[in-house]
Amino acid sequence: MSAATSPATSPVTTTAPVPSLTSVFVRLKLALLRNGLRQSGGRTVAYILSIVFGAVLAAAMVLAFVLLRGSADADTVAILLTGVLALSWTVMPLFIPSGDETLDPSRLVMLPLRPRPLVRALLVASLVGVGPALTFVLALGAVLALAHGAAATVLAVLAVPLTAVTCVALSRAVAAANVRLLTSRKGRDLALLSGLVIAVGMQFVNFGAQRLGRAGGLESLEPATAVVGWLPPAAAIGAVDSASKGDYAVAAARLLLTAAVLVALVYWWQRSLVRLMVEPDGSTIGAASDAGAKEKSAGSGLLARVLPGGRTGAVMERSLRYIWRDPKTKAAWVTSLAIGLIVPLFNAFQGAGSIYFACFASGMLGMLMYNQFGQDSSAFWMVAQTVSTAADAYAELRARALALLAITLPFTVLVTGVTAAVLGDWGQFPEALGLALGLLGAMVGTGAVTSASFPYSIPQDSGYKNVAPGQGGLAWISIMGGMLAAGVLCSPLIGATVYLHVSDQQSLLWLLLPAGALYGALLILAGLKLAAPRTAKRLPEILTAVSKG
Amino acid sequence: MPDQAFDGAFDKAGTAPGEGAVPAVRVEGLWKRFGQQIAVNGIDLVLPAGRFIGLVGPNGAGKTTTLSMITGLLRPDHGRILVAGHDVWADPESVAEVKARIGILPEGLRLFERLSGRELLAYSGRLRGLPGAEVDKRAAQLLDVLDLTGSQNKLVVDYSTGMRKKIGLAAALLHNPEVLFLDEPFEGVDPVSAQTIRGVLERYTSSGATVVFSSHVMELVESLCDWVAVMAGGRIRAQGPLAEVRGSASSLQEAFLELVGANGRSAAGDSLDWLGGGSGAGAGGTQR
Repeated sequence: MSAATSPATSPVTTTAPVPSLTSVFVRLKLALLRNGLRQSGGRTVAYILSIVFGAVLAAAMVLAFVLLRGSADADTVAILLTGVLALSWTVMPLFIPSGDETLDPSRLVMLPLRPRPLVRALLVASLVGVGPALTFVLALGAVLALAHGAAATVLAVLAVPLTAVTCVALSRAVAAANVRLLTSRKGRDLALLSGLVIAVGMQFVNFGAQRLGRAGGLESLEPATAVVGWLPPAAAIGAVDSASKGDYAVAAARLLLTAAVLVALVYWWQRSLVRLMVEPDGSTIGAASDAGAKEKSAGSGLLARVLPGGRTGAVMERSLRYIWRDPKTKAAWVTSLAIGLIVPLFNAFQGAGSIYFACFASGMLGMLMYNQFGQDSSAFWMVAQTVSTAADAYAELRARALALLAITLPFTVLVTGVTAAVLGDWGQFPEALGLALGLLGAMVGTGAVTSASFPYSIPQDSGYKNVAPGQGGLAWISIMGGMLAAGVLCSPLIGATVYLHVSDQQSLLWLLLPAGALYGALLILAGLKLAAPRTAKRLPEILTAVSKG
Repeated sequence: MPDQAFDGAFDKAGTAPGEGAVPAVRVEGLWKRFGQQIAVNGIDLVLPAGRFIGLVGPNGAGKTTTLSMITGLLRPDHGRILVAGHDVWADPESVAEVKARIGILPEGLRLFERLSGRELLAYSGRLRGLPGAEVDKRAAQLLDVLDLTGSQNKLVVDYSTGMRKKIGLAAALLHNPEVLFLDEPFEGVDPVSAQTIRGVLERYTSSGATVVFSSHVMELVESLCDWVAVMAGGRIRAQGPLAEVRGSASSLQEAFLELVGANGRSAAGDSLDWLGGGSGAGAGGTQR
């Protein structure tokens, strides 16, 4: 830390030039990143992997855009992709792991900073990173595909940075507003709503994709392009397109609109930041007023009476309580439950769905088993203190899996059943449920293994962060690798389903229900058996990993 | 560990009769490095059972790192640690023996704060494998003694620092450990809570149990402990009965400053010549 803060504090003498706040923040960000990577070699590898992945992706996209140049659909693709990019920037701070201490206003409260230079400095600092660089390259690709003529080229030079900056500003403004939500009492329940909004939003993207598939070709997306082309920051790309087609007035309007929206976003962000920094920390106020409601927990016999005794019961009880009481856990659960229900049902109501969409629910819910110990944060020491053998670790992990299954198992059956009812397709219910249960088992099993092998910390003190600085790559590897493994583990079930369909042995399809349930149970058992000795052996390492940040 | 006859050599203060010569903690060649920095530099330590033991040292001396390694929360790079005769880092059976015998109140680690005080005790007691009824009985008594009964249904996240230390202490005592490790138990605690904690700890040691606590407040250590280990720069500078470590110095504070070699340093007057009320314009002044 001292290396990071010294540029800010050392030049106190009045003669030396005071470095601009912006350069201080950029250096702070780089120093934090460097220090985060220095702490562990594995993280460095993960970070480099993510950079390589990003670079390959960027190169592929630019190449695709260049090849698209001159094609009739170039405008549709470029504008819509920019729109999707902006959407993901908006959504990202709410759900995707990001750890950026430089952007956390609670760390800056005590510094004598005025809002305007602060926001400027924060904006520039948040432009440093893999994500913004990738965005810049994509915007560049988009204009490469679109720009024809001198006017368009001039506009393109303006549009590319404008798009990237607007994306980042959008993300920061939403994040700041979201923190205000998360730290206010009412807001904590409102934040759950944002989970639902995202679930519905994903559904719209899904509709678009389906329409694309059905109506054959990109032409069907023309009306969407017309709309998105006026939505900043895609409007900036739209401006380049208009200029290429000679509509200079439209081009100017679109570019100005984007610039205006950027200014508005920065203003909104600044207002949220100022409010965040001068208002009391709502998280404690909110929690304090919770206390009255907790009186009823004196009669908490119900949970305790239903659950088994000993470690299993104690761990299950705590896990289930945390679903309701811990804001981050609660938000994760509500999002998973909502998306798991909405995706299959919307598809079913739309008539385009298949009962197999019900597997989406078990996939989303199974993900909650991932990074179990990270969810404890440094309180994991209380667990570590009582685990000495693989048997202890097995009991601990099994109880956590049981708590998860106590909700997800009935939920999976419910979602599959309701989807079948809406589709009127009870014939496929057994095989779909079998698949869903198999997938749930695979997710819980791999979740247990990744929890033991790739723990990462979820900082508790800030609504901004889901991962400690420098651990983002580790989190992604844990989640992506685990999901991939779960998919592979499910392939025998999928294969059996396909085989029975193809070989016309429909009468045997019901067998998939018991087979899927049994297979899922076996995968959970195997996952727990594999994870338990690893957990018992790696307790201090896990504690260190989950205590960061 | 072979049974050894009771050896009164440690028993100068006259407490804890009946404790064997198996020390509460024996540390040999303990070593831990974080990156370039050596936090604990090959220390040897013998802490006798049945004592109130203070581990003192300035911030960054390696106290927390040492306690974490002794309690099994941090893996040492080298060295051997025995707690009540059982190796902390050997096979699972030996580790289980250690973990059943110790209680910990760490510094800077969270509790499960979204549980109420009572739920937290119920949870940690059951994790330790105690029967539920016994846990609830002990929890009620601990809450009463530590003056937490009124807040037992409040979430720990809403507790003050003093209340957190007390509920942490209750959780550490619940299974009646032989050795209790407390990292800065009085840091940030108000005088009333501190007195309550002190009372409980004194009662606990008078029954023959061992308390090892770290602190940088010498007055506190001097008034509470009968055995002291002084740590600085990752090394043990002195260890033994309080009177022995204090030696001829007027107080433990004096003896400590001498041991860590900080006594000779003056207030370093001229290097801070710009510091003073209202005379110059600092960075804050020019910003405004």
